[in-house]
Amino acid sequence: MLTKFETKSNRVKGLSFHSKRPWILASLHSGVIQLWDYRMGTLVDRFDEHDGPVRGVHFHKSQPLFVSGGDDYKIKVWNYKLHRCLFTLLGHLDYIRTVQFHHEYPWIVSASDDQTIRIWNWQSRTCISVLTGHNHYVMCASFHPKEDLIVSASLDQTVRVWDIGALRKKTVSPADDILRLSQMNTDFFGGVDAVVKYVLEGHDRGVNWASFHPTLPLIVSGADDRQVKIWRMNDTKAWEVDTLRGHTNNVSCVLFHARQDIIVSNSEDKSIRIWDATKRTSLQAFRREHDRLWILSVHPEINLLAAGHDNGMIVFKLERERPAFSVSGDSLFYVKDRFLRVYEYSIQKDTQLIPIRRPGSNSLNQGPRTLSYSPTENAVLVCSDMDGGSYELYIVPKDSHGRGDTVQEAKRGSGGSALFVARNRFAVLERSSNQVSVKNLKNEIVKKSILPLAVDAIFYAGTGNLLCRAEDRVVLFDLQQRIVLGDLQTSSVRYVVWSQDMESVALLSKHSIVIADKKLAHRCTLRETIRVKSGAWDDNGVFIYTTLTHIKYCLPNGDSGIIKTLDLPMYITKIYGSTIFCLDRDGKIRPIIINSTEYVFKLSLQRKRYDQVMSMIRNSELCGQAMIAYLQQKGFPQVALYFVKDERTRFNLALESGNIEKALESAKKIDEKDHWYRLGVEALRQGNAGIVEYAYQRTKNFSRLSFHYLITGNLDKLSKMVKIAEVKNDVMGQFHDSLYIGDVGERVKILENAGHLPLAYLTASAHGLHDTAERLAAELGENVPSLPQGRKASLLIPPSPVLCAGDWPLLMISKGIFEGSLDETVRDAHEDYEEAAVADWGEALDIGEVENLQNGDISMVLEEENMEEENEEGGWDLEDLDLPPETPKTAATARSSVFVTPTPGMPVSQIWVQKSSLAAEHAAAGNFDTAMRLLSRQLGIRNFSPLKSLFHDIHMGSHTYLRAFSSAPVISVAVERGWSESASPNVRGPPALVFNFSQLENKLKVGYKATTAGKFSEALGQFLAILCTIPLIVVETRREVDEVKELIIIVKEYVLGLQMELKRRELKDNPVRQQELAAYFTHCKLQTPHLRLALLNAMTVCYKAQNLSTAATFARRLLETNPTAENQEKLARQILHVAEKNMKDAIDLNYDFRNPFVVCGATYVPIYRGQKDITCPYCSSHFVPSQQGQLCTVCNLAELGSDASGLLCSPTQIR
Amino acid sequence: MAAGGPDPLFGLRNSFYLGAYQAAINNSDIPSLSTDDAVERDSIVYRSYIALGSYQLVINEIDSSAATPLQAVKLLALYLSNPNNKEMTISSLQEWLGDPAIGNNPILRLVAGIIFMHEQDYNEALKHTNAGGTMDLHALNVQIFLKMHRSDYAEKQLRIMQQIDEDHTLTQLANAWLNLAVGGSKIQEAYLIFQDFSEKYQMTSLILNGKAVCCMHMGTFDEAESLLLEALNKDAKDPETLANLVVCSLHLGKPSSRYLSQLTLSHPDHILVKRAKSAEESFDRAVQTNA
Repeated sequence: MLTKFETKSNRVKGLSFHSKRPWILASLHSGVIQLWDYRMGTLVDRFDEHDGPVRGVHFHKSQPLFVSGGDDYKIKVWNYKLHRCLFTLLGHLDYIRTVQFHHEYPWIVSASDDQTIRIWNWQSRTCISVLTGHNHYVMCASFHPKEDLIVSASLDQTVRVWDIGALRKKTVSPADDILRLSQMNTDFFGGVDAVVKYVLEGHDRGVNWASFHPTLPLIVSGADDRQVKIWRMNDTKAWEVDTLRGHTNNVSCVLFHARQDIIVSNSEDKSIRIWDATKRTSLQAFRREHDRLWILSVHPEINLLAAGHDNGMIVFKLERERPAFSVSGDSLFYVKDRFLRVYEYSIQKDTQLIPIRRPGSNSLNQGPRTLSYSPTENAVLVCSDMDGGSYELYIVPKDSHGRGDTVQEAKRGSGGSALFVARNRFAVLERSSNQVSVKNLKNEIVKKSILPLAVDAIFYAGTGNLLCRAEDRVVLFDLQQRIVLGDLQTSSVRYVVWSQDMESVALLSKHSIVIADKKLAHRCTLRETIRVKSGAWDDNGVFIYTTLTHIKYCLPNGDSGIIKTLDLPMYITKIYGSTIFCLDRDGKIRPIIINSTEYVFKLSLQRKRYDQVMSMIRNSELCGQAMIAYLQQKGFPQVALYFVKDERTRFNLALESGNIEKALESAKKIDEKDHWYRLGVEALRQGNAGIVEYAYQRTKNFSRLSFHYLITGNLDKLSKMVKIAEVKNDVMGQFHDSLYIGDVGERVKILENAGHLPLAYLTASAHGLHDTAERLAAELGENVPSLPQGRKASLLIPPSPVLCAGDWPLLMISKGIFEGSLDETVRDAHEDYEEAAVADWGEALDIGEVENLQNGDISMVLEEENMEEENEEGGWDLEDLDLPPETPKTAATARSSVFVTPTPGMPVSQIWVQKSSLAAEHAAAGNFDTAMRLLSRQLGIRNFSPLKSLFHDIHMGSHTYLRAFSSAPVISVAVERGWSESASPNVRGPPALVFNFSQLENKLKVGYKATTAGKFSEALGQFLAILCTIPLIVVETRREVDEVKELIIIVKEYVLGLQMELKRRELKDNPVRQQELAAYFTHCKLQTPHLRLALLNAMTVCYKAQNLSTAATFARRLLETNPTAENQEKLARQILHVAEKNMKDAIDLNYDFRNPFVVCGATYVPIYRGQKDITCPYCSSHFVPSQQGQLCTVCNLAELGSDASGLLCSPTQIR
Repeated sequence: MAAGGPDPLFGLRNSFYLGAYQAAINNSDIPSLSTDDAVERDSIVYRSYIALGSYQLVINEIDSSAATPLQAVKLLALYLSNPNNKEMTISSLQEWLGDPAIGNNPILRLVAGIIFMHEQDYNEALKHTNAGGTMDLHALNVQIFLKMHRSDYAEKQLRIMQQIDEDHTLTQLANAWLNLAVGGSKIQEAYLIFQDFSEKYQMTSLILNGKAVCCMHMGTFDEAESLLLEALNKDAKDPETLANLVVCSLHLGKPSSRYLSQLTLSHPDHILVKRAKSAEESFDRAVQTNA
């Protein structure tokens, strides 16, 4: 039993689930009806109008109504939206036991101690039928979920089934007057609307409860005889099927489960019992200490039950509904029904893999709980609670997709939890001995480790480590060293989710999430009021999780928020971008697309990725008060600025972020004195004189304005201020202003006008305005004040300001982040932000190190403790150290006498040599001598110096180097060709060669390109390199052998042609030979574009030498190739045109194009058909016979005319 | 292996075996060690210094009063530091090995094994190491047998190691060496072993090289190259990285001469350099005979 919610209250007598909302009604013995939200655990409402116990309560399926019936004989219909009772149905003459709405009609059925069952129409608010027949209290009555039936249970020891078909017919066609008349008659005579269909007798005490099966024609009843009985009915009769015995006191309520094939009953014996409805056996019993149970209710849609007892109620479910799953790379492994399935995210393919053992239904909650998968071994561990915790190990055959129904015999074992800790090792928790045993795939124990503290569950924590859950903490335990690597205080972790890079871990508890790093250093804790269900990390390091009701996110700093609400609980398996893959409770995979804008935005802010922030703001994908508050709180008022429309908020934010321009903008719109004042203060702080002035002007704060002008040295404005003050009759202001300006005359005048004649006089005389002074003295008469003596007066002139115009040096305000770029969309400031971000990264790193240090300390302490133990043992050793000095010697001698060193084996390279007759493989083995001999025999190669580097490379590439034991010599390992997964070990393959055919093809392309570009010597180099490499090429198939042979021919033609062409270019002063060579070049087998170029070349050369007839033949041949370049065609036609007028050759050439010929590779003379020649045994170039015994000038490898067996470049040729 | 208390030297040994020599040296300050453990700790630290090429430091720091294992380590340093010392060190080594009081010391035997391996006198090496006794000795045996191309014997040694502690780092490593030597499908297992190490411990050039070698044997030279370049980033002078880069570049058709000359300059004694040299000679000789 998994308790989901519990209340403490008076005795609960009635319960009802709401069909859609997470609500439950509980009617109490005290007369109160409570409405609870069982998901949030809060009391939503309470209804207190009944007098005395309320025994029956029921929600309406669709309307915001519920009905209750109590010991005050009243049936009340309530509207929970309006929080009040709508009306009361009166009629019963005794306590009301149960009330129920009809699922379709506006009816209520009620059962009462007055021995009747009544059906009420709650729309007309009348009783439409009274069912009499029971001759004791009717304890319960309920409608059939589909048919026109009612079942009732009574203390008269019977269960009755009533047919209300007639009543329904009446309601369906009430318009029929005649019918209604007859009905009225029947009504009058005691009602035949509802007749007893069956009376079920069998209980020998009063029956407390009876209820229908939701789909089958079954009834279950519970009675004071402590028995539960199952009844079956058909159209004509009903009979007892079976009796379930087990309760030790009155059975108070019994129900069929809505979704499972079980019966749930409760009793005054303080227990709830679960029965198998088909096998009719007891599955489980849940006992309570003190509370007798009174009522049960089953949720109509989801897998929930509720039970009411003496001191409250519980909401619970019988089995967990979380599908067991495990994510590995791109795949999700999960259990659905009784199959292990795999879902591949990238291709969205769902495959059934293997059937797994179906848990026997002899008890509940035995299904798979967790999965652990080892990708390299393709093995799955399925853990369940069966037999107090056990696991099954399945190896998934590679080709098992969708195959078979036969259950593979799994390797089993018992243990709290089991999971893979390495690719072929899994750890099993043995709770009784507090040990972890590590097993291999044969289910054999490899080793055991005693855990450092009492552990009740283990979780994955990377290869070789375990996360162990103890009562109030989790520890990171290294299985190999048997030490604790990390430790974190957190209670009852249920699930552990590692990030992809294994750097962060989320520990999910029932109501909290703790994020920690890989050393279990605490990063942040989130608390949730609603149960946390699952979670996964996205690529940005954001943890996305689900609660019962929401998908939420948690940023690395602990900020969290809601992404989406959920109708049904979901279990997140993996996150790809904005798609969250979830599993629902039915084991269906549901991709959910979310809007990640909010958290990506916050994350960008946090990481100071302001470019992203800006682009998001520009696209304005988010806004709202919450975001503004967040930004303000996190110290980003300047960003918040862009989300606000309200000017006052905007103004405040602008001031906060020091964005004076924005503040001014808003201030202008608001135009209130207070705002201007604050703007002035901020502007002054920043030193923005212009805005200070403007603000003072707007606030009409003249004295500040004057002073402002004074210090900014704006004397013009200051004198204007004098005028203004004069106009405003502000004498003091006027005086100050003139004092600031240093205008003594003005001051005197002001003093005079103000009637301060003595002061005016003093001022005038002190500043040497004698005329005025005299005049004033005259006015003052004898009251002329005496000037202080002995002091020298000086004119008071305000100091000249440091800066006369414009702004002062402005305070550095951290602006420019968003302002410029956002307003003007200038994008040049990015780099600065990057730097800022980098700087902050640095800091973050420092913090990390500090944390590491702390961790280090902890482990040091631990090690110290351990050391002490070691030391103690060390003390023991000392004593018996001296005893056996002789034994080692004997051991040593024994060793040398018995052991016989094996003879060294054969190195792989030697095996290669023995097996092969390919020169390349001999070269790879380092056996150059035999390699050369082979080449000379096969291809007549005599000149090996061009092959030196190739031999060298091929030999170097044949072994890799493996540093094995420190300071010992390196192991060199032979690299073999054509490795495959299925190759059997210890069977040596041929050596891997550094040259392959495709490399040559690439070289050929490079050569072609160089030829086209006219870089002949470069091209020649490439082609010669190909010719040199071919003897050391090994290919696998016959077809490739032919290709290699073809390649030799192609390349040798080019080599010959290019050699001739290069020769021609050297011969500047021999036009005849030039023409000849150009002509021979056109007879090499070239690619068409190259042939065209050669022809063009020959044509031009001959034309220049006035060999028009020959030139014409080239032109004709050129035209025959259909040149793609227009100028080639044009030129050819022109030459043809000219030549046709004068078909003559100026000079005789050794060139007869009509007579087929080959060109000698050494002398470059044509060898016409029929003439004698010799060939190169390797490249098959032709030579004049006089070259016999010379080195081939084309390939520069083979001796001309020597005997050779031919190219051997594939093992297929030998077989 | 009996379920004893935590092993204080575990981390140190692991670092050493996996080629994180500097880490081993840096983390050697382990408090409250027993005398035996302290000697072992010191020997690992000095062996790490040797692996890093700091022979003289080892020779200077170990004085004549130090324990036998450390003297043995010093002998190794002497042997490796100067080719002229070889004969002298070997003779003192023989002398010590003959001494019944210390001749059975596992570290001394280990050093003997290593030195005779360098001398390519496998017979003599095995004489001292074949009895085993420590994981180090068994692992060395595996390596000697592999050097002798007797993978059957190597496998027997490995079985012994697996019986002692299947999950021991040296067992795993030796398993990988053997897998590489026998080739075929075993290569993949070797790769997985190195892969496990790379997930579990800090990446060292030894692990990266191991992975790269597996990749080369499986024909994925591109991956091998990126692994080797990563190793080169960690330690630009690591001889095996350079040697394997030469091999890898050759197979990829990329220029390899720079790596080769780097290796030749820094480690003229490396097996690849030697092979290159002898190849040159044998080529010239072969040209002579085939002329």
